[in-house]
Amino acid sequence: MNESQPSPVSRREFVRGGLRVGAVAALGGLGGVMATRSSADDFLWQIDPQKCSQCGHCATDCVLETSAVKCVQNFSICGYCDLCTGYFEAEPIALNTGAENQLCPTGAIIRKFVEDPYFEYTIAEDLCIGCAKCVKGCALFGNGSFHLQIRHDRCVNCNECAISRACPSDAFRRVPRSKPNIERVIAH
Amino acid sequence: MKKQIPRRQFFLDTVLATGLLGLGAKASAATPAPSHVEHLDNDLERYRKVDPALIRYVRMSHFTLPRPDARRLTIGKDERLYVAAVNSILIFDTRGNSLGEITTTGQVRCVAIAADGTVFAGVKDHVEVFDTKLKRVATWDAPPGKPLVTGIAVAESDVFVADAGNRIVWRCDRSGKLGRRIGEKDTARNIPGFVVPSPYFDVEIGADGLLRVTNPGRHRVETYTFDGDLEFSFGKPGAGIASFCGCCNPCNIELLPDGRVVTFEKGLPRVKVYSAKGELECVVAAPAWFADPARNPDNNIGGLDGAIDASGRIYVLDMIEGDVQVFAPRKASAS
Repeated sequence: MNESQPSPVSRREFVRGGLRVGAVAALGGLGGVMATRSSADDFLWQIDPQKCSQCGHCATDCVLETSAVKCVQNFSICGYCDLCTGYFEAEPIALNTGAENQLCPTGAIIRKFVEDPYFEYTIAEDLCIGCAKCVKGCALFGNGSFHLQIRHDRCVNCNECAISRACPSDAFRRVPRSKPNIERVIAH
Repeated sequence: MKKQIPRRQFFLDTVLATGLLGLGAKASAATPAPSHVEHLDNDLERYRKVDPALIRYVRMSHFTLPRPDARRLTIGKDERLYVAAVNSILIFDTRGNSLGEITTTGQVRCVAIAADGTVFAGVKDHVEVFDTKLKRVATWDAPPGKPLVTGIAVAESDVFVADAGNRIVWRCDRSGKLGRRIGEKDTARNIPGFVVPSPYFDVEIGADGLLRVTNPGRHRVETYTFDGDLEFSFGKPGAGIASFCGCCNPCNIELLPDGRVVTFEKGLPRVKVYSAKGELECVVAAPAWFADPARNPDNNIGGLDGAIDASGRIYVLDMIEGDVQVFAPRKASAS
């Protein structure tokens, strides 16, 4: 018999080897799952307002009954307009808080007089459904201070966010938990 | 005695485990790219359509600018177009051939050409002056407050600077010395004050010797004397063709020699001509001619500006598209 040839593996040895490989693979898989679960915990879903196209999917595609996406007001770039195109219909009957004049289907925007002719607009998050109608109106004509953000006190941080799959503009991305929001910037 | 694991088997096990770990991680992290693109119905779509009978201009030509960041457009007595684009003023002939460039010290927001060819550029918070050889001859001090110069109009001995940050028009002499503040809220003089929600604020000088100033937040064009008395105004808010749409329009204006006012709007990009009294006369260009702001994620830089040459052709700058379109009055026989 040639000494350089490996000795044939016995059945017992083969079974034992197979079990060993199986055990190591199982451990590896568990490690992989733990590793990704840990990294998922460190990252959250968020919407990039610069990419958002106000398509309306945020209101309809979230796994929650009422979407975790809400409109957010960036006061530092808001124009405090009397005729706020995020608040009013395109041709409002009057510039007042009458429901017939409002763009928001749930009346989630609160209009408050500041001084002539300026008004402050804030969002009642409990009413906001994330439909982006106000965001669209504000972005088209105004400074774009209204923008959508995922509220992390509501979001369940799915592995594969259902809205991100439907998002036509690729606006959803993972952000570190330490920086959970993406601010709307204005290009003046 | 405990049996030792052969080296080959140890390596095999390690490679297998690593491969499985990698596969597990990838499967958990991978997110498929969005596969479909769709848009909600645009509620404003009906306002983008304009009655063809109202359109009394035809598009003659257009040219694309070499840089996508153009903000304002003006024309000199020499029929050269000056385009404000970030840190420079690009100069073209009326066919779009490049003739030169002036470099400014910062972001240039507006440009005006004096009758003698001197170039005045609004650079963020101050004005820079260039002679006919395009050499910088002066840099004016920034006005007090939080200035943002977005419009300049030059008279024989005065320069009027529209300051969107302070929401006033400064009257300066040709050396840049600040004089009267025009348009400041003053109930005693029946001046409502300018409302400028976004940085679009323009001033022009009419052949009648009066200033025309946009008041975008009030959707009006106001007429002032050089001393700051409000003479009259026109304009009302609304998406209809006779009104000024959105929160803040018109964003820019130009004047025809007979006193008619050409207005440029953003949001619903359209160019219209109003009589000197403020009645809508006709439409120069409907929104269909311009980039749809809804398709522009950075629509803060959107909007239109224009210039009028000696023969009455209107050059319209589309800030989103980065091009200039030339419109001429439709001849009576063609209408």
